[in-house]
Amino acid sequence: MGERTRQALPSVLSVLLSLVVCWMLIAFSRDTDGLATATAAYLQMLWGGVGDWPRFLDGAPITVLTRPLGEAAMKAALLTLTGLSVAVAFKVGLFNIGAQGQMLLGALAAAVVGAHVALPGVLHIPAALLAAALAGGAWAGIAGALKLYRGVHEVISTIMLNWVAVRLVDNWLVVGPLRGVAEAGASITGTAEIHPTATLPRLLGDMSRLNLGFVIATVAAAAVWAWLTRTRSGFETRAVGLGDEAARAAGIPVARRAGLAMALAGALAGLAGAVLVLGTEGRYPGTLGAPYGFDGIAIALIGNNHPLGVGAAALFFGVLRAGGTRMQLLDVHKSFPELIQGLALLFVAGRLIWLAALRRRSAPKPVTAAPPAPTAQVPHA
Amino acid sequence: MSLDIREGELLAVVGENGAGKSSLMNVLYGLYHPDSGEVSVGGKSVRLKSPRDAIALGIGMVHQHFMLVPTLTVAENVVLGREPTRRGLFDWERAVKEVAATCERFGFVLDPRARVDTLTVGSQQKVEIVKALHRGARVLILDEPTAVLTPQEADELARVMRGLVAQGRTVVLISHKLKEVLGVADRIAVMRRGRLVAEVRPSETSATALAALMVGESQRAVMSNAAATPEEKLASEALLEAVGFPAQGDNGRPAQHGGEAHLGDVLLEATGLQALGDNGRTAPRVSEKFPGGALLETTGLQALGDNGRPVPRVGEKPPGDLLLEATGLQALGDNGCPALRGVDLTVREGEIVGIAGVDGNGQRELAEVLTGLRSLTAGSGTLLGRPLKGLTPAEARARGVGHVPEDRLRRAVVKALSVEENIALGRHSGPPFAKGMWIDFAGRRERAQSLLAAYDVRPPEPTLPLQALSGGNQQKVVVARELDARPRLLVVVQPTRGLDIGAVTQVHARLREARAQGTGVVLVSLDLEEVLALADRVYVLFEGRVTGQFTRPEYDERELGRRMLGAEQAHG
Repeated sequence: MGERTRQALPSVLSVLLSLVVCWMLIAFSRDTDGLATATAAYLQMLWGGVGDWPRFLDGAPITVLTRPLGEAAMKAALLTLTGLSVAVAFKVGLFNIGAQGQMLLGALAAAVVGAHVALPGVLHIPAALLAAALAGGAWAGIAGALKLYRGVHEVISTIMLNWVAVRLVDNWLVVGPLRGVAEAGASITGTAEIHPTATLPRLLGDMSRLNLGFVIATVAAAAVWAWLTRTRSGFETRAVGLGDEAARAAGIPVARRAGLAMALAGALAGLAGAVLVLGTEGRYPGTLGAPYGFDGIAIALIGNNHPLGVGAAALFFGVLRAGGTRMQLLDVHKSFPELIQGLALLFVAGRLIWLAALRRRSAPKPVTAAPPAPTAQVPHA
Repeated sequence: MSLDIREGELLAVVGENGAGKSSLMNVLYGLYHPDSGEVSVGGKSVRLKSPRDAIALGIGMVHQHFMLVPTLTVAENVVLGREPTRRGLFDWERAVKEVAATCERFGFVLDPRARVDTLTVGSQQKVEIVKALHRGARVLILDEPTAVLTPQEADELARVMRGLVAQGRTVVLISHKLKEVLGVADRIAVMRRGRLVAEVRPSETSATALAALMVGESQRAVMSNAAATPEEKLASEALLEAVGFPAQGDNGRPAQHGGEAHLGDVLLEATGLQALGDNGRTAPRVSEKFPGGALLETTGLQALGDNGRPVPRVGEKPPGDLLLEATGLQALGDNGCPALRGVDLTVREGEIVGIAGVDGNGQRELAEVLTGLRSLTAGSGTLLGRPLKGLTPAEARARGVGHVPEDRLRRAVVKALSVEENIALGRHSGPPFAKGMWIDFAGRRERAQSLLAAYDVRPPEPTLPLQALSGGNQQKVVVARELDARPRLLVVVQPTRGLDIGAVTQVHARLREARAQGTGVVLVSLDLEEVLALADRVYVLFEGRVTGQFTRPEYDERELGRRMLGAEQAHG
């Protein structure tokens, strides 16, 4: 069993276990035909997430595949970005509970740049994304600065900044100064609608809501992975997270690495807000609602704080979330995917128990001490 | 070794670091188990399997590091583990009352309702003592109790100890501070290398005589480089400890044994000793015993006279250029008290400069100052051509300072990273570890493999997480990394702590090799033998000042030992 498999297994097993537990919960909560209903509900969830393959094979149009897949992909994109946000902060040893607030700020910034700045299409989207990243990064930067200069624990400060963000954005800016002007007598909530030039283009046209946001999230995951594993600064960041005193002694600028990683975490959460506003909402709605920022914590932990693991976890739960609504057809509440996610997080928290169980199963492989190496090759001596 | 402890006496056990004092006491407290020999209490032979047994027999111990819950009150701490209850609930009022009664009985002034973290260190120590007494301790063992106290608190503690003895309790005081021992003890047992070398009465001895006993009469002074062959090292490592306790009340022991050991029936193996060493070294502490310790900074060396320059050795090339010249270095310790109080130091190319001293006299802080990890509060110096002040770890590395720190897992390596990543740590920005902003995986692998082979690290597997290696192999990785950087000045602290003999020999050989290649080495070690075996010059630190400087041909181990104990003042 390779080291990578061993690292991933606890997450995979946790997710499977939570699927089983939820399946049993559905089954036991029905008076009649529990097992059949639970299985049917799971199938509906699956078809709702990855496309209704049975109907497609029966001759239905391709949109029965693309629509659900597009929904799943968009949910996965948001979960990926907020999950990466939490994971990057974890890498430097900080627990970013503030992805929600950073996402709010990013969404607002994207909405403002999208609606109030006129730019050609090629520039408008990057400008809005950049604004969102900067806003999220700055919001996280407050917590980072408080940590580095005043010793305020980032868990406390990011939680509080979440509330500050909600009050600031939802309860004041969006209903006050930045409220969109109603057109033709229709009263609207939220900010003004963004220009078409700022809208993330749909990748499959009318066949699905899948848009550029999914690509942005995927590229972000790959980029974060490459940065952490392949670059000097990524190495320094990991070293700071795993042993800050040793990193300091090695001459690594610990405070700068921690601060930058926190800012990057905020930028990723901000991008999630931008993808939501520019891709699906078209404006900052009255309230952002969906707590993707908090979901990011679960996604990061289930993904074992690995950028690619985060991507995989986000994809999986994006599928479940998108398909969850279809469970209602069978009178099963649509929040079960969230329950599955929550239980998976709970089980992942028992990571050490999983690892211990796995270790007992796999036969102990003794590390064979190699024979003394030839001593003639003293390096450049 | 044999030792008897009599009822109602204040027995002091003194000895150098690693002499076996704490090991012996841990045996008495049931933390360590003797390989052979026996412990008798009140004439009956007993087996102490755990501290629980010791407590049941009325033996209490106050550790150097307090075992208190800081957020609980004094009363709660004292009764912890045997709380008075009422209807299944913790009866706080009764706990307070009981503890107040115990305090009054033994004359302690303590508020049982106060939270422990609001108390001074001295009061916290009293809480520890009350805790032991509250559990019915008749024999109280205090392990280096004054190490963390201010002089006033230490005086107060002495009063407390005398008071306990006056009430018929027995106090065993472990210390290496001779003056305070002389002032308070009824009887002094001197240990050296796991043996009881003397038992004396304070009235019949002096600090100088005690220091001589502690350090040993033998003149192991001038040790050649060859002294550290594996065989010799083996002999010196095997500090076998013998414990055989005759029944209590065995009086009539001659007052002084004149360096003769009671080699009893029992042997404690050397690993016990190792663990003890670890104990003794973890606490950064700044002792403030000497009232005359006020800032003597720049004059420190002048007072010692002119042995400031290394004497060129016959047949060897004289040390080269000055790498480090520092005067009046002052720095604070972790606890905010001055740890360096004016240290003058020079290091030249191609010499090993040893820093000797009893643990906690500023050696650690000195090494941190030289590597940019601790900032100076006063003093100045030139390190590799540029000022010492404002040095950062990155700047120190850039100038060519290598560092093998004392606390390997905390400071030298990141144990969750792979071996090759740890080899790159600190040098990861340049070839062969990086190309531009990208990590050079091939170059890193190649260099890691050749270093692992050259330093005989086992298993030679660069992708293994570092924590999968044994301590000795981890240290080899650290030494390999630091020497591979070709440092001009190498600061090593306790480089062989916890290593097996093979690894010790190898590390020593590598340090000599570095010297031969012109590196200046600053070697900080609590193991005087190691310092004497390797160093060309030795500075002795005591309470943050240089109290002695010796050059190889003039090594006088007794004199060194006296200086380590701060005896310099006594003789001007």
